[in-house]
Amino acid sequence: MFSFVTRYLGFLKSVPTLGLAFDGWLKLWALVTKPAVLDWMDEIEAEVLQWPDTTSVIHKYGVMQFNYKGKEIGHIHSNGLLDMLLNRSVKQTLIQEGRITDHHAFKNTGWISFYMNNADDKEYAIKLLQTGYDRLAAKHSTHYAKPPAYNAILPPYSMQ
Amino acid sequence: MLKKIFTPEINGYLISNLVAFAIIGVNKYLIVDTHTNVGGTFVFSEFVIIPMLMGIIAAWFWRDLDLNGRALSAKSCINACIAMFLSSFFLGEGIICLIIVSPLLLSFTIGGAFLGRAMFRRKNDKVNISIIGLLIAVFIIDSTSEHHYENMVSDTITVNAPPSRVWKNVVAFKRIKEKNKFWLFRIGMPSPVESTVEGYYLGAKRKCIFSNGYTFDEKIVTYDEDHDLTFAVTNQPRDPEIMGHIDILQGQFLLKDNGNGTTTLTGNSWYKLYVFPTWYYDIWAQSITRNVHLRVMEHIKQLSEAK
Repeated sequence: MFSFVTRYLGFLKSVPTLGLAFDGWLKLWALVTKPAVLDWMDEIEAEVLQWPDTTSVIHKYGVMQFNYKGKEIGHIHSNGLLDMLLNRSVKQTLIQEGRITDHHAFKNTGWISFYMNNADDKEYAIKLLQTGYDRLAAKHSTHYAKPPAYNAILPPYSMQ
Repeated sequence: MLKKIFTPEINGYLISNLVAFAIIGVNKYLIVDTHTNVGGTFVFSEFVIIPMLMGIIAAWFWRDLDLNGRALSAKSCINACIAMFLSSFFLGEGIICLIIVSPLLLSFTIGGAFLGRAMFRRKNDKVNISIIGLLIAVFIIDSTSEHHYENMVSDTITVNAPPSRVWKNVVAFKRIKEKNKFWLFRIGMPSPVESTVEGYYLGAKRKCIFSNGYTFDEKIVTYDEDHDLTFAVTNQPRDPEIMGHIDILQGQFLLKDNGNGTTTLTGNSWYKLYVFPTWYYDIWAQSITRNVHLRVMEHIKQLSEAK
């Protein structure tokens, strides 16, 4: 359903409130079919908000968006789909690992998509968001140092 | 004692529904009737802005309950279901209408609740007042605007019989005994079962009878034998199941001789909607009209092809 709507009804996304309603519908669907997705989103939000200078806001299309100093790290649709921007070389490395795909709408960019299907995927989503966070933080400050709280679970490819 | 009854959770359900029905009541009896003369029309805002406001109001009462996403979604569903139950009670809406409207109400109530949660977490009163003010402004503008929407649905089938055999079954047909295939008809929405006519001539009165006994009174306005039967709908039933929210204005059957013993039969219906937004309700209206067409036209095909 998500693919159908984004492919054929994507032009409606600029209509105010429709994105919010669509994500509300995805929440309802998740509640009925896979309520754990909603819990994973809460857990991810709790984790990301522990990182310095992060906030969670409602994305312009109604989904949960994470920001670093006002810049978007990524957003999660309520069907468990994480969309975020990485640099292209990191994206290529991760695609070769086989867990992420091109963004469902923006092909040939740094944007990626990742579906969470189980609790392990939730952990991987946090790692991806860490990677995005590091990218933005590194851009923002030349004296950036990773906070130790999440340093331990950073994947080796994230900032090297 | 009252504090035990009116807990934040109960207040979330209660106040959000009270506000919603108060707004609908005021809108229905004051603003809509006096300014646009289209009483009975349900505007876009009533299905979009009000459920969002309900979600936001509920989120305000639930803000200290520390609800997780699953609980907030579930409570918002319950809230929307309460609103639908109250709609059947106070607005006389039938079960089919509520099924049709439920995706809108559920989506916007859940969306509104999450929007509200984000708003009240930020504790920025200026932004919060701006959002609610904007929603109210959109509501007032929408409610006081004129709403008019008409559309036409057309369907075609091929009948393996010449127009002369098809024609008599187009003007009137015996009772349909086939089981309904369309899911809304199967769960109780009235479907067409029979058509009668007082005579085969221009101006003759025609009746289209539905499964629950409702009758559409029609008058033949074009009688071009073997080619074009057009009828205006002169009177139609009003009931909670759809018929109060759509007017069928005119129907038409066009027959085209394919020259090989077959006929292309086209059914056209013109209708006017009284529920908005049309980007949502017209999908339903087209689907229902199409299935009315197909039920009748497949019956005509069966009768015409019978040896």
